[in-house]
Amino acid sequence: MEAAGIARASAHGDHGHHGPPAANHSSRVEAPLLGMLLFIVSEVMVFGAFFTAYFFIRIAQGAPWPAPGTQLPVEVAGVNTAILMSSSFTLHRAHKAIKQGNRFGLKAGILTTFLLGCTFLFIQINEYANIGFAPQDHAQQTIFYSLTGLHGAHVFIGLVLLLIVTIRAFRGHYSPEEHRGVEVPGIYWHFVDIMWLVVYTTVYIL
Amino acid sequence: MLNPLRSEDEAFRFLLYAFVVIAVVVGLVLALRALI
Repeated sequence: MEAAGIARASAHGDHGHHGPPAANHSSRVEAPLLGMLLFIVSEVMVFGAFFTAYFFIRIAQGAPWPAPGTQLPVEVAGVNTAILMSSSFTLHRAHKAIKQGNRFGLKAGILTTFLLGCTFLFIQINEYANIGFAPQDHAQQTIFYSLTGLHGAHVFIGLVLLLIVTIRAFRGHYSPEEHRGVEVPGIYWHFVDIMWLVVYTTVYIL
Repeated sequence: MLNPLRSEDEAFRFLLYAFVVIAVVVGLVLALRALI
């Protein structure tokens, strides 16, 4: 019986390999890069759908922006933009620090990034509370809340990731050789920041 | 070539370029609006 099993294994070319078969790399692109590419492309399409609604209301329908009798807090949102841009800068510094073996720099940078992100979200929630109109008032208000809310949801997800990175950084999990756990949320955070620049420009300024 | 998905460094540089491009576009649009 056993001899038959060995003979069968040999017939199938099994020369002492144990465990699951090696992963099949069908793509010439590296798996982490491909994963991030697909994720960001899907995110761009989600935002694209919301921007389509925005441009339809504003350009195809020619509706005034913002709706008559309402005002958008451009200055407050501008300060919030500066806060979010600063958070990308501190995250970049944190990542640079761990690549150079500077654990204190990583901890300081990542904690600052997390706090700046929380400040951004807090200001946005405060803006919603005091803006003086509701999503159901006009089509313009609906798309305002949808676009800024969609972005806010992405900031929230980014903050969850940053919280995990912060906890891991304070536990000493990262090193100059192993810092992918900072790098990937960093790419995501910069993407969220770029999306905010587009949202702020189209919704608040132009 | 700059690929913002490859590393955090490149994503950050892409963000800076995007900031500059958006600032220029906004400046041009606002200037045109003021002229018209």
